[in-house]
Amino acid sequence: MTDDIAYWFSYLTNGKHLTWYASFQFTIFAALMGGALAVVFGLLGATLKNSRFLPLRLIGTFYSSIVRGVPDVLFFLFFPLAFEQGVEWLVASQICTPEAIAAQTAAWPPCKEANWFLGTTEYLLLASVSLGLVYGAFATNVIHGALRSVPNGQLEAARAFGMSPGQVLWRIQIRQMWVYALPGLSNVWMLIVKATSLLSLLQIADIVLWADRLGAPNFLPAVGLVHEDWRWRYYLVLFVFYILVTWLSERAFEAIMRRAGKGILSEARV
Amino acid sequence: MQAFLNDLALMSQAVLFNIYFAAASIPIGFVLAVFLALGKASPNPIINRLTRGYIYAFRGSPLFIQFFMFYSLALSLNIAVWKPLGISGFVLHPLFMGPLVLVLNTAAYTGEIFYGALRAVPRGEVEAARAYGMSRSQQFRRVIWPNLIRLAWPAYTNEVVFLFHATAIVYFALPVVGAQADLMITAKTLFERDYNAFLHFSVAALYFLAVSLVVFFLFGLVYQRLMRHLPAPPRMRYRPKWMR
Amino acid sequence: MKKIMLAAVAALALGGSAMAQESIRIATEGAYAPWNFLDDSGKPAGFEIDLGNAICEKAGLTCEWLINDWDSIIPNLLAGNYDLIMAGMSITDERLETIDFTQNYFPPDPSKFVATAGTEIDFAALSGKRVGVQGGTIQAAYAEENFASGNTVVTFATADQAMADLAAGNLDTILADGAYLEPVVAASGGAIAFVGEDVLIGNGVGGGLRKEDTELKAKLDETLTALKADGTVDELIAKWFEGRGPYFAE
Repeated sequence: MTDDIAYWFSYLTNGKHLTWYASFQFTIFAALMGGALAVVFGLLGATLKNSRFLPLRLIGTFYSSIVRGVPDVLFFLFFPLAFEQGVEWLVASQICTPEAIAAQTAAWPPCKEANWFLGTTEYLLLASVSLGLVYGAFATNVIHGALRSVPNGQLEAARAFGMSPGQVLWRIQIRQMWVYALPGLSNVWMLIVKATSLLSLLQIADIVLWADRLGAPNFLPAVGLVHEDWRWRYYLVLFVFYILVTWLSERAFEAIMRRAGKGILSEARV
Repeated sequence: MQAFLNDLALMSQAVLFNIYFAAASIPIGFVLAVFLALGKASPNPIINRLTRGYIYAFRGSPLFIQFFMFYSLALSLNIAVWKPLGISGFVLHPLFMGPLVLVLNTAAYTGEIFYGALRAVPRGEVEAARAYGMSRSQQFRRVIWPNLIRLAWPAYTNEVVFLFHATAIVYFALPVVGAQADLMITAKTLFERDYNAFLHFSVAALYFLAVSLVVFFLFGLVYQRLMRHLPAPPRMRYRPKWMR
Repeated sequence: MKKIMLAAVAALALGGSAMAQESIRIATEGAYAPWNFLDDSGKPAGFEIDLGNAICEKAGLTCEWLINDWDSIIPNLLAGNYDLIMAGMSITDERLETIDFTQNYFPPDPSKFVATAGTEIDFAALSGKRVGVQGGTIQAAYAEENFASGNTVVTFATADQAMADLAAGNLDTILADGAYLEPVVAASGGAIAFVGEDVLIGNGVGGGLRKEDTELKAKLDETLTALKADGTVDELIAKWFEGRGPYFAE
């Protein structure tokens, strides 16, 4: 009996599994970073949408509706690739000599010197930025709506105090907006958490990739523990992991909403 | 320009796979969702817990993981279950597994939408129906359902668009049979040939956008028909993926 | 400001390529034992990892190993994410159109069919069968060409996934490298067996690199010749592939 337990315990503590556990850091980082950036892009988008200058308003509206009209996977793959190519193009325009361009046989980059190596760190950052951009479009709508929900009397009072439009926006509207935006932002956060499962598409050795590798049938003792196809068990673990994260996030947002709701007119609390 | 037209032509085949995945899963998901919503509102503790748990689990986990999990689960049951029944090749085919997982997923999201609408059905109308002596099934058919579907329709439209977008990951998770390729696989393959990310992904995005707009238009027509009793039917706005 | 920013980016890129003179990045799939796999500590291991490290030691290079999915391993080489592919990749004319190869470090080796024990497959009149291959391999191209009509060719992201479907009865047969299948068949305890006739495709396994990296290719070829001459390659083949070799002994 104890031998059995020791066997299973050793099974879960071998190096491959430890790497799997460690790879949760990528998922968590991408979620947190993506979430923070989504709020930043959301604030930016909402400010653009509220702008009195028509072109800016159009940019804001365009951003929030186009990005949401396209699958998140598509943007998630496209953005890092496009960004990499953009940087390489910029570098190429500065350093590529005509001879180097002529010597280049591959379709991209224009010359060898302009090549940009992307490792896990770079991809992870780019993945977070694209998560932020995609879900920032959702946050734009949430924040845009929330900015309008701030009671007009508050804004009028602020103006009566002689605050400039910028001061009204920053000191009154944005400070009070959060309580109205939180339910929507919690929704956006859940979407981001679920979208972190796509990291392996950008060659990041994340939890999904390791679940596949660990669960794949193995016949050779040299490679690791010999077992048949166990993939669904590993995916079940991830399934439960994501449900737990959702549950925890819900509790956390409830607590934040309770705190943020203090001192605000009661109809704000839903 | 020529390259753009080439891509348009190449992907006109590929988009059919995405449309198939969505079209195959939407009707079944719709029916399942009605039962889930009723289950979640049911006073029976067992049915209530089960449906609540189901909706929570499928809304709380990524579709990507659900695809992997259900494919490998179906695979591990192959020798014991599908083979003896003689439906092995059918069950494990991506054209079956894809819609299956999409149905399970969309039923949970749609069930939640319907549940919310069910709770918003005016109490007075239900009470009036009961006062008329309508049976439970009559109450549902004549009073609750018409109210429910009108309340839920805009959110349901968004869910359908989201489901269509979700078909983009089917072939990232399932094995590919023969030369079948959907929009994403086609775009990725074309990109890996000439590295023109801007062209290929934009064309795929255009297709997604176009189909989304068609869905919005068609569902908008249905909505106007549903709301024809109102003097000025409310118009539906293009708000994809709003609050899933 | 813009100029300075650009200069900084350029310096970064230049620094990167200047460093690349001494160090190279090698990509492998990490799911193709015993060629390359992830060992119990989660690090790449296998024949190609040993060989790659031997090459780097001999040539005085610093090597860094990366794991990349098979289906995007050539595109990401061309996109410059790494300098060399060592992933059991056969040298073929089709691949030579886009990338270059070092000389082979594993000789041309027949591809083989496997099936679950007791399955009889009539390859002369193959029809209605489900043939599993790994996508983007020479076997996938072969299966597409020879079995596509009348049979179903199912493409998988990794060879291990194909094995899982075969073991679960979702495939009738798999076509893959003999050197990959042999240890699997030996270790399966009779559950999986070779069927049909072997087919000879490919010109041996070599390291894939970009066409313009001629200096690197020359250096690697020179090192490989030396390692073949002193028996290192044969030694490693004997270590990882039971009963194979020696192939390169004079």
